[in-house]
Amino acid sequence: MKQEKPKYNVFQNVAWMCGLAWKHRRRVLLFCALAALLEVLFNLVQLFLAPQILTLVEKGAALQTLLGTILLFTAALFTLRFAKGYLAEIDLSARIDVRTVIIGLLGNKCNTTSYPNTLKPDFIKLRDVAHTASEGNQEATELIWHTLTDLCKNVGGFAVYLTILSHLDPVLLLVTIATCLAGFWVSRRTSTWMYRHREEEETYYTRKRYVHRVAESVPVAKDIRIFGLQDWINDIYASVHDAYLAFRLRAEKVKLLAELTEAVLTMARNGIAYVYLIQLALHENLSVGEFLLYFTAISTFTQWVMGILQSTLKLHTESLDISRVREFLDYPEPFRFSGGAALPESRPYELKLENVSFRYDGAEADTIHHLNLTIHPGEKLAIVGLNGAGKTTLVKLLCGLLDPTEGRVLLNGIDVRLFNRQEYYELFSAVFQEFSILNVTIAENIAQCAQDIDDARVQACLDQAGLTQAVAQLPQGVKTYVGREVFLDGVLFSGGETQRLMLARALYKDSPILVLDEPTAALDPLAENDIYLKYNDMTRGKTALFISHRLASTRFCDRIILLSDGGIAEEGTHESLLADGGAYAQLFEVQSRYYREGKDF
Amino acid sequence: MEEKSKLTWRRTWQLTLRAWRIWWKRCPGYFAAVVLRDAIQALGPYVTIYLSARLINELAGSRDPQALLWWVGWQLGTLAFLTLAGGLCTRWVNYCEDTLYPLNRRIYMDKMLDMDYADLDRQAVYELYSKLMQSQNFIGLGVRGALERFSPLLQAVLQTLGGVALSISLFLLPVPTGSSLAFLNHWLAAPLTLLLLLLLTLSASASNSYSQSFFARYVEEGRAGNRYFGFYGYTCQERSRALDMRLYRQQEHVCSPYMNQDIDLGFGPRSKIARWARGPMGLSAALSQGLNVVLTGLIYGFVCLKAWGGAFGVGSVTQYVGAITKLFLGLSDVLSILSEIRINAAFLEDSFRFLDIPNAMYQGSLTTEKRSDRQYEVEFRDVSFRYPDTDQWALRHVNLRFRVGSRLAVVGQNGSGKTTFIKLLCRLYDPTEGEILLNGIDIRKYRYDDYIGIFSVVFQDFKLFSLPLGENIAGRKDYDRQQAESCLHQAGLQERLSSMPRGLDTFLYKDLDQSGVDVSGGEAQKLAIARALYKDAPFIILDEPTAALDPIAEADIYSRFNDIAGDRTAIYISHRLSSCKFCDEIAVFDQGHIVQRGSHEALLHDASGLYRQLWDAQAQYYVNRQTT
Repeated sequence: MKQEKPKYNVFQNVAWMCGLAWKHRRRVLLFCALAALLEVLFNLVQLFLAPQILTLVEKGAALQTLLGTILLFTAALFTLRFAKGYLAEIDLSARIDVRTVIIGLLGNKCNTTSYPNTLKPDFIKLRDVAHTASEGNQEATELIWHTLTDLCKNVGGFAVYLTILSHLDPVLLLVTIATCLAGFWVSRRTSTWMYRHREEEETYYTRKRYVHRVAESVPVAKDIRIFGLQDWINDIYASVHDAYLAFRLRAEKVKLLAELTEAVLTMARNGIAYVYLIQLALHENLSVGEFLLYFTAISTFTQWVMGILQSTLKLHTESLDISRVREFLDYPEPFRFSGGAALPESRPYELKLENVSFRYDGAEADTIHHLNLTIHPGEKLAIVGLNGAGKTTLVKLLCGLLDPTEGRVLLNGIDVRLFNRQEYYELFSAVFQEFSILNVTIAENIAQCAQDIDDARVQACLDQAGLTQAVAQLPQGVKTYVGREVFLDGVLFSGGETQRLMLARALYKDSPILVLDEPTAALDPLAENDIYLKYNDMTRGKTALFISHRLASTRFCDRIILLSDGGIAEEGTHESLLADGGAYAQLFEVQSRYYREGKDF
Repeated sequence: MEEKSKLTWRRTWQLTLRAWRIWWKRCPGYFAAVVLRDAIQALGPYVTIYLSARLINELAGSRDPQALLWWVGWQLGTLAFLTLAGGLCTRWVNYCEDTLYPLNRRIYMDKMLDMDYADLDRQAVYELYSKLMQSQNFIGLGVRGALERFSPLLQAVLQTLGGVALSISLFLLPVPTGSSLAFLNHWLAAPLTLLLLLLLTLSASASNSYSQSFFARYVEEGRAGNRYFGFYGYTCQERSRALDMRLYRQQEHVCSPYMNQDIDLGFGPRSKIARWARGPMGLSAALSQGLNVVLTGLIYGFVCLKAWGGAFGVGSVTQYVGAITKLFLGLSDVLSILSEIRINAAFLEDSFRFLDIPNAMYQGSLTTEKRSDRQYEVEFRDVSFRYPDTDQWALRHVNLRFRVGSRLAVVGQNGSGKTTFIKLLCRLYDPTEGEILLNGIDIRKYRYDDYIGIFSVVFQDFKLFSLPLGENIAGRKDYDRQQAESCLHQAGLQERLSSMPRGLDTFLYKDLDQSGVDVSGGEAQKLAIARALYKDAPFIILDEPTAALDPIAEADIYSRFNDIAGDRTAIYISHRLSSCKFCDEIAVFDQGHIVQRGSHEALLHDASGLYRQLWDAQAQYYVNRQTT
């Protein structure tokens, strides 16, 4: 996989993780150290068990000594094993806790980062990698504790065994280490092969997940049945699966090679150790116990060496992922989120676009082009135009979700960029076409907080949005959860009801500026008309922006602007625009033609 | 389910065998590979134990260099061979697993694709389905869980058998008479020792499964915890949520508090499972491991006593200790895997409950005859319908007949039964009462796929796939390119098509292909219409087709659609009543009833009717101009 060098190295990332653990759950670190220590001790006791006892049997020691020794060993092993087992059970929750902290950091970053970041492909890619690195027990941000424990254990074991084996021929140790290195080099080739093909592997998973997602979705099931799409879906699945299998076959072949080499090396290592120890036994009268001790020690020594190499490699891989997590968290913020100018006190506010142009990253043309617009305090402005004319972009510029590429957006004469953006957002209540209804209660969705909800106000907003009746039918009323992703007994709202819920939420927030982007698209004529009639009530004392395709709605507004090619093509009141006979009049003509003919008889 | 009392062993095996049979059918090679690999791998340790014992005996005895090298050679050679053969088999097994594991999900996908829509759409079915998926993700139990326990069980059994083979002689070889330990020759000595070891193994195993049972008990909370995690930790970060997230500070005010709540609910240090882990669950797991060590100690005691008494040499001590230890560890594995299989079987019960949902919709054998004159007549005769598990009528006493080639508009308020009407017409559901007739015959008497073949529908929530454009239009991999192009032309996408970088082979959206193109709402709608045209069915149905469109695009679709519908029967559902003017007949729905029927003109004349009300609500703003 070709990617630029990670920004942080292994040491920095281990330090960062340890820092997090130190701050939030110190015991994670303690457990790691303890587990490594117990492991080494257990191994050591086990190493001496068989040789020690065999020697006693061989020498025909007193029965009490023999049984006493066995008892002692057993007691020691029991204690260590018990402690180790207990530790393995209790460390999980603390580790998950630290990972949850990271998930929280990622969520915060993603959901509060400057909005333009969320449109950038590299930001999204980093976010996806960061998500993967934190979404399970087996991912880098939790697995690292396991790896660190392993590393400590292996280094400790290595040091201890080196002392035990120190009076054997150093050449033997060197040969052992050399075969380990060779074996490691081969197995490393396998893992780098896998790592290099990670993206290829991931594409198969992505595709499969996609096929599953659509094939198992209930709304799509209608299309699948009506158009007989089953065969198509099966074909697609089969072709992905075949490609995946071909890939796995290649991978298995690479692994097989590594495995075979490993077998040969192990044989060589054991052979040399045997021959060497037999020489010692024959010429220097090594006892059986010692023979067993050394042979086991050499095998175990090999494990420590291999262990060190492997956990280093794993740590390196995990560090790459953790580095991505940190790069995501460090992603630069073009918006100001702290300090900044104080928001002007005077309500209502005046918003002004001064020679504003905006171009999306990588686009060839401006979406908004040298646009000037003043929205007066308390004004109700309608924005109309064809699909793609830039209506939503204009609104996003006003709300401070996007910053202009050129020109300025001013609030009461002050450049929006000077404010703390989060505080600036407090000025807006909005219903967008893209929305986020959360899997929490109706009341929480309207109040947008989990505590201190003003029940009376919730009820009033439901009334205004015309949702009271639908909510009253629910057994738990406003305490009913919306959606079923988290709470299985939640309510599934229809498109129309969802739109009303969003409207209620905007009303509850009661900000000085109200933004409505196609708020009635999914409503039937009576419901739509009902909202229109309440429009003046809803917007009393506020500045309001209204985007709609239904030109009927625009007449409730003080002024209408017609966007075309990123600029204001026409502006005025409904009547003046009709009188002008321009593009607006044409649009209105198209839409009203059929209704008017209806009036003829 | 899993909290209920445990399954009987009989039921456990029925379910497990059924699961194994599913896999056997998909890939018999897997089982062959596993048996071979496990046999080879089980042999390895015993070869080592046996041959090292010979080596040590030789060392403890005459120390003949020739013999020593001989044993070393044997050991290295055999082990190398076993490692190589085992490695080869492991790769084979892995490859089979790569083939099989994804199929686990595939089993459910096939079922979802095949199930009657009426069942699929039921909340209870969906809940069962998501429960199965969550169990799979949370603890890996279910149909795949059964497969994953096949090899471990086999390994444990083989290990036990190998241990028995290498340790029988331990009990047969007597301590020489006259030794102070001659009591070990008593016929009760061996059974008593074995009994003691067995008891120890059983208690270790019981202690372990007691510890494991906490996880199974936590399954509901665990799943809930994972749902919290998934939603507040990840789903909330979908791009479409970005605007509301910022303007309503959802992360800070809602997501974070819920996420923190999850730490207590799910797996954090204050969760129930964490408290259990510090208490009974952790202690019993630790005890189980400790007991296994005590087992080793006891084995050493018994074997060493016999050796001390002179029954066999030092080398054999290592052999017997190794063999018996492995025997009892194998046995304890057998026990714990069996208890896992039992736990898994409870989840299998759910899986099969889902997979066994029958396709209950009655299907006749009549064909609809591909009539070139498209002479079809559909009639709803006193049709009433209630969604399953509800007691409210979604449709009540609906009578309607419409002829081929006509244009029918269906209007009404949100929730008045319009979409339900379409679902019944397309036989996604069968009526609860009454019948629907096609050319005078109950539609249930036709073959299902034949009947459904006469409808093309653009649903309100239609879905285009992140796959090549042409395949989307045709709904299959191999298709008639010319026809696909002509359908795109008819739907008004000629220009858009020519701007696609790879024509019909251009991917829609970027999910699966970075070079894919994004399409706007209006374009998507036209694509869906092109797909409906490609199917070339005698009935074409549009459910609220223009909600996302601007006035020009809307008018474009109306005027165009009248042309494209041609001699087909067209049904519109729309909130924009201006579209009804194209239609020969309008049916007005209100609370599940058809309250008005007739032409636009006739309905408008009925000043008290619902249609007039709906019309006025919308038209007032457009017609006022005439008066001003």
